[in-house]
Formats: sequence, C-alpha cells, structure tokens
Amino acid sequence: MKSHSKHLVWALTLLALTLPFAASGNKFFAFVLGMTFISLLWATGMNLMYGYVGLMPLMFAGVAGVAGYAMVHFTRTLGWSFWLAMPVASLLAAVVGVALGLPSLRLKGFYFTLCSLVIQTVLTLAFIFFPTYTNGDTGINQVAPPDWFGGELKGMGLDMSVAIFAVAGVLFCAWLVKTPLGQRFVAIREDDVLAEGLGIQVVRCKIIAFFIVSVYAGIGGCFYAVYVGFISPRAFDVLVSMNIWLYVAFGGRATIAGPIIGTAILAPIPFLLQDLQAFKDILSGVLIIVVTLLMPGGIYGAYLAWRSSQSRADSSSNSDKVQEQRV
Amino acid sequence: MKLLDVDGLSKSFGGVAALRHVQGHSVLGETLGMIGPNGSGKTTFVNIVSGHVRPDAGTLTFGGIDISGKTPHELASIGLCRTYQSVRVFASLSTKQNIDYARLLLNHRGLNQAELSELLEWLQLDTLLDKSAGSLTLFEQRRLELLMRLVLKPQLIMLDEPVGGLAVTEVIEMINLLKQLKARCSIFVIEHTMRVIKELADRVIVLIAGEKVADGPPLEILQNKRVVDEYLGAPHA
Repeated sequence: MKSHSKHLVWALTLLALTLPFAASGNKFFAFVLGMTFISLLWATGMNLMYGYVGLMPLMFAGVAGVAGYAMVHFTRTLGWSFWLAMPVASLLAAVVGVALGLPSLRLKGFYFTLCSLVIQTVLTLAFIFFPTYTNGDTGINQVAPPDWFGGELKGMGLDMSVAIFAVAGVLFCAWLVKTPLGQRFVAIREDDVLAEGLGIQVVRCKIIAFFIVSVYAGIGGCFYAVYVGFISPRAFDVLVSMNIWLYVAFGGRATIAGPIIGTAILAPIPFLLQDLQAFKDILSGVLIIVVTLLMPGGIYGAYLAWRSSQSRADSSSNSDKVQEQRV
Repeated sequence: MKLLDVDGLSKSFGGVAALRHVQGHSVLGETLGMIGPNGSGKTTFVNIVSGHVRPDAGTLTFGGIDISGKTPHELASIGLCRTYQSVRVFASLSTKQNIDYARLLLNHRGLNQAELSELLEWLQLDTLLDKSAGSLTLFEQRRLELLMRLVLKPQLIMLDEPVGGLAVTEVIEMINLLKQLKARCSIFVIEHTMRVIKELADRVIVLIAGEKVADGPPLEILQNKRVVDEYLGAPHA
C-alpha cells in the first residue's frame, strides 16, 4: 500500500512535468495549462489553511496581489532579476499576510472568514488607491517574462517552471501535513481549546500557517503576473479568493489529491468555454451545486468514503480507511 | 508540600461574582474534591487554574511557581492539565490519532511504547485504536480523555465531573479507575455524585455562590450543617 502510493506520486509528478511538452504545440492549450498550474499552487496553499488548519482565508488573493505588485516593482523600477524579486516579494507578502492575520487570530469559523473578507477588501482598495506602485484601476500591462541567462523565459520554458513550482508546492504540502506541525494544524482544526489544553501552542501554529500559506499565495501571484503579463486589482479580488477556495472544497479538502482534482476540473472551464459566455457560468454553477449536495467532502472525499465503506463490507474488522487518508 | 496554592481568587462576569476571595490549596499526592450547587463557581475555578480564564484578582502557584497569566499550553507543559465537563476529544479522528496528537507536546519523547501499552491496557482502550473517537461510548471517551492527559505525564489532573452522564455500573468502574489513578498523579475533582467524593477525596472544598464555606475531610464535610442545608439537602454520610 505504502510503496504503491509512492509510485503513484512519482507517476503523477512525471505526468505533470510532461504536460507542458505535450501542450507546447498549441499556444492556447499551453496557456490554459499554465493557468491551471498556477491555480493548483494557490489551491494547495488554500487547502493547507482551509483543509488542515480549518480557517477560510478570503484575503488569499489580496496577499497574492501584494507579492505580484511588489515583484513588478522590484524588477521594473529597481531592475532586479525575477528570480530574486519573486522570493523577496513572496516573503514580503508573507510578512504582510501574518501582520494582517494577527487581529483575526483569536477568531475562528465564520467570524474568521468575515474578518478575512474585510482584510481582502482593504487590500483591493489599497491596490486601487495607491497608484504609485499599482497604477490604480488601470493596472500594469506588459509585465516582462522572467529573465533567463541573459534572455527571457518564455513559451515552454515558462510553462515548465510554473509546472515545477506547482508540483513542488503539492509535494511540500504532502510532506508538511505528515510532520508534527501538520498534525498540530489538524488538532487546531478539530478543537482548538482541547489542542491548547494538550500543550499545543495554538497562536504560534496559526502564525506559522499564515506565513506558509502567504508564501504559496505570493509565489502564485508573482507567476501570475509574468504569465498573464497584466495585473490589476481585479486579478486579486475576493472573487479570485473564492474561486481558489472552491477548487479545494470541490475536489476534497484536507486531502492532497482533492485540490488537484478540483483545480483540474474547474480552473480550465472559463478558458475552454470562452465562446459560450452564459453557458460556462451555468455549467460551473450546476457542477458546484451538484457536488456540494451529493458529496459534501468534495469529489475525493466522496471517493474515500466509498472506498472505506467497501473495505468495511469486505472485512468488518478492518479499520476506517478515511481516518488514515483524510486527516 | 503544597502543590497547588490559590489565594484571594475573585472573578466576576458582568455584574455577577462567580468567585469571591477563594483561598485553598492541594498537597502533592492528595485528591482534592470540590463540591457545590450549580453556578457556585466550580468550573470557573478550574477554568482559571488551567489558564482558560483570567482572574480579576488573586494569586496562583503550582509547585512553587507563580502561574497567574500562564496559558493552558504552558501549564500543560509543566504538568497541570484538565478534562472538560462535556467530554472533549477530536471526534472525527481515530483513537490512535487522538493519542498521537496528545503526545505532540513531548514530541513522542515523554512516554515510551511500553508505558503507552500499559496505559492502553489499563484503560481498556487497546482494542479501540482504529475506531473514530466520535463513535466511542461516553465512558470510552472519558477513558480516552484520561489517557490523553496521562501521556503528558502530569503532576495534577483536574477532572470536571468525570462520571457525569455515565451509567451506574460505569460510575463504579470509573471510581475504581480513579482510585488507581491516585497512584499516578495528584487529582482535583469536581463532582455532584457524592459517592465519588466519599470514595476518592482526601479533602473537600465546598463552594456556595462563589464563596468557600467549608474545607475538610469528606465525612466531616458531608455532615456540616451549612453544606447539608444549602447543597446536599439530606444527610449523606
């Protein structure tokens, strides 16, 4: 079982990294694929917070925006390399994310979500009303692609680096949730009062989570900027946060596979059905309603529940497999 | 030697005084009981000592260390932990995961496998490891709660109504378990079931309307006129 799933991980990693080659013939498909990988990176970060820590951070896109704008400022005005600007901007976004998260640390559930919505709104307004760095509502266009040994990283090279970062993000998340820190996250999600009583430093763990999740948002934001070539406050507004959250809830929160499934299904829809303007919203709406009604744990969550009921039918003494997978 | 020492403890919620200048102490190895009518401040007392609620006034020391203002996780790490009136486990996780999470504080160093197996056997949880904690019976959950405290190697466990909601036969079993627990650590126990107090407690504190009205051996307390009049209603001893 263990080595079996390990093989699966390697197979999926290889598949993910060959996809950019496969799509390189068609610019449109390559672009959709790249956007899906960026969404996957974001969804994985969102899953860490929503699935494992149990908080729904609606300021996610805003934090990504901070990194995106900062990266553009660093490369354009200060002349930094993208590969220096991206990590610095992401760390900056993480610091901002932690600082903005501090007031909401004592909140949980719906109240946290509400507070994060306010923070997201403030960030969106900041993007609009401080045009020195953001060019306001107009946005910044013609963001240069990342530099690469004197030239520019474009086409398949950029697609590839986006894929690599997305896969690395997923693997890091899969590793993190198995560590004692990841277990602490789950304990906090399940019952923060009990977790505190058992000696888990709830506030400290939440701050660490904020930091990690903001780094995910930030790296995604930087790649979004160079990949699309245009950023504006709308690219980082609350609807984006909610979309990312949807990928997680749709695929199955608190699982590694869930966000992958959710992103792979939902993220390409707006691009692939571009010509059917009205239909695409109806389709994604219906999909979401059907999945949330029929599978409250998301697609992968439903699969795990089905499999555990199968194995229980096979041997009644067998343990609950869901426990093992969906921590 | 005094383990827990409390003096002048006061707490009001809005205009309601939950505790008024409560003073008391427990001795190392002792089982201290606390009784009193509903709303007399017993749970507030535990909430304050375990760091969940801040007192308005008063001093708190544990093992000679000043613990006022310490958070629950700091107290857990120095050996003071508690259970809750309504049972609290990580319901959607397995029994084994619950225990693993309780062991996170000591990073699995505190307790070796043999000690853990001994605890599992003693509390009869060894066959329930794969079940989800939410599907256990109340008595099983109460035992799991106890085990999740014991892996922290506590000096003092504060139990808030450990037999609340249990069936009569389970109450007897629980009392037996708690009697054996006395050999492992000091205990503070809140109970309404006088049988628990009589069989377990070395000393009892009585709270009525936030004030300490009596402090002494259980048999003496259960005959105290004021305690009988205002709480017990009929002689119990």
